[in-house]
Amino acid sequence: MDNLGYLMDGFATAAHPQYLAFAFLGVLLGTAVGVLPGIGPAMTVALLLPITYSLNPTAALITFAGIYYGGMYGGSTTSILLNTPGESSSMITALEGNKMAKRGKGAAALATAAIGSFVAGTIATALLTFLAPISADLAVKMGAVEKVSLMVLAFMTVGALLGSSVSRGLSALAVGMFIGLMGVDDLSGQMRFTFGLPVLTDGVDVVVVAVALFAVGEALYVGALMRRGPQEVIPVPEGWRTWMTKDDFRRSWRPWLRGTIIGFPFGTIPAGGAEIPTFLSYATEQRLAKGTAKAEFGHGAIEGVAGPEAANNASAAGVLVPLLTLGIPTSATAAMMLVALNRYNISPGPLLFDDHPDLVWALLASLYIGNFLLLVLNLPLVGLWVKVLQIPRPYLYSGILVFAGLGSFAVHFSRDDVLLLLVLGIIGFFMRRYGYPVAPLVVGLILGPVFENQARTALTISQGDFTTFVRSPFAVVVYALLLLMLVGSVVLKRRERALEARVAADRPLEPTG
Amino acid sequence: MAGGVLALGVYALVRAGSIVEPTTAAGAVGPRTMPYLVGALLVVTGGTTLVQILRGRRGEAEGGEDVDLAGGTDWLTAGLLAVCVAVHAFLIDPLGWPVAAAVLFGGAAIVLGARPVWRAVVIGIALALLVQAIFAGVLDVSLPPGPIFEGVSILGG
Repeated sequence: MDNLGYLMDGFATAAHPQYLAFAFLGVLLGTAVGVLPGIGPAMTVALLLPITYSLNPTAALITFAGIYYGGMYGGSTTSILLNTPGESSSMITALEGNKMAKRGKGAAALATAAIGSFVAGTIATALLTFLAPISADLAVKMGAVEKVSLMVLAFMTVGALLGSSVSRGLSALAVGMFIGLMGVDDLSGQMRFTFGLPVLTDGVDVVVVAVALFAVGEALYVGALMRRGPQEVIPVPEGWRTWMTKDDFRRSWRPWLRGTIIGFPFGTIPAGGAEIPTFLSYATEQRLAKGTAKAEFGHGAIEGVAGPEAANNASAAGVLVPLLTLGIPTSATAAMMLVALNRYNISPGPLLFDDHPDLVWALLASLYIGNFLLLVLNLPLVGLWVKVLQIPRPYLYSGILVFAGLGSFAVHFSRDDVLLLLVLGIIGFFMRRYGYPVAPLVVGLILGPVFENQARTALTISQGDFTTFVRSPFAVVVYALLLLMLVGSVVLKRRERALEARVAADRPLEPTG
Repeated sequence: MAGGVLALGVYALVRAGSIVEPTTAAGAVGPRTMPYLVGALLVVTGGTTLVQILRGRRGEAEGGEDVDLAGGTDWLTAGLLAVCVAVHAFLIDPLGWPVAAAVLFGGAAIVLGARPVWRAVVIGIALALLVQAIFAGVLDVSLPPGPIFEGVSILGG
């Protein structure tokens, strides 16, 4: 059966008015929450999880696809219009985007980000559509040993490659795995690490952990270190017809395509996040820039927004390949998508395409639709997003706390989950305060138990022989790749740090008080 | 923090030994192996971080849109926010979700500096009722309405 036919079926499902409404809702909510400062796409999905409790799986997934892409997009608006970089993936966009906004070219920056996101998102989604079934076919043939090797790869890249400190990233990963161990062991039925508390017997719900770390931790952290005094939002001129000049288009289309090509592969390999591809895209555009563009780099060059923003969105689509076909999340946001899927007893993996074809293809189709909706929504609605940016911070973070409480309470309708939320939220606070990344913890928590099951299965088959893990050629290739990536990342990170230092030196200190 | 990771690792290693290994385990590897592995990882990474800190390489606090790293840490605000969440948790059962949520929102907003105070309270009550109406009334998420709103159907009572 050709996948195109399946995709058409998917479109037929997704185009159903009811589902179209959900896609619309997801995109709108995702963008709105993504625009809000302090809330990244992962937290957006975490906070909006309770909304889907009473939806059917297809509707919920379509909504989440919208939230996922919308959240990604919303972040770029914030980084262009606010005077500070947000999460690491949109930091690169802020470099040139914010300078463009200051020079009165904010509209062009927003437009190139929006259209670039659309172009990259559409191409990447198309690649996803054709790659995912192939990858799923491959994945079906994988045994426990191969899966273990892929998970080791995911652990190491998410834990060691992201964030500035390797030991802290791996610490967070280990803490996540520890939390994943709590409760009853699936295979033997033994209790592990419950501290004698009955709440922990069933283990800790992933939703509670994620909401605690992303939402409560952030709210406490911002509470303790709140920026005093008003934030400066750069005004955007009205009239969206004159947003991008012909010249802007001429300068943007190549970076869009290059960004897509750089971003997508980085999303598909379990190397996690959009940080590296956005940086690579920026570096590429900077090197290729000629004439005026070259002079403008560092002072608001449109190429520096178009490329990284495309790379960001392309990698967001690429991340869905390992997520849907292997069940391996490679970013915090993907981890949250996995949680959302698990809510419906759908476990992503090679069998997903066989077991739930209608659902997968409706999801893929709704990604195209969501992407289109984003393009249509974002340019005309920018005035609304600017208002969203100006919500008074006390109300914003109080609201986040209320929804975090709601999300964790709704898991079991138990007070104890809310208390657990608080405890984990305080851990999240200290992690932020002392430079521990949060994403590895969530990935460790979700993948840890899967990893244990697969590893034990592999060892059972080999009758306890640990060399089974390096007997498979596929696994050996994966480990070799991992080694290569670790070496490569050291080089990349040095260059990125040099760039960051340069940018930090350029940015004037803001008045506080 | 690094010390905490190290301590958790030691705890994991010690406690892992007391997890009962069923003698008739189907697999060659029982429920203890993974805890040992995780414990070891915790000890190694916690220890490494600790050594780095002692050598003067401190962690960088995370930046963000609403964060000003130059201003110093205001522990009181963070502590009071945590208290608000705790109070919220203990109010859900006796007074119902809307009241508990209004207290959390109002309390947190005031702690974070919302003025005038009455506006924070009013917004808190309105938001709590709205969320209750949407989730309990429309979406059938069974949030307890509490004694005050018992029997109010649009609030799921």
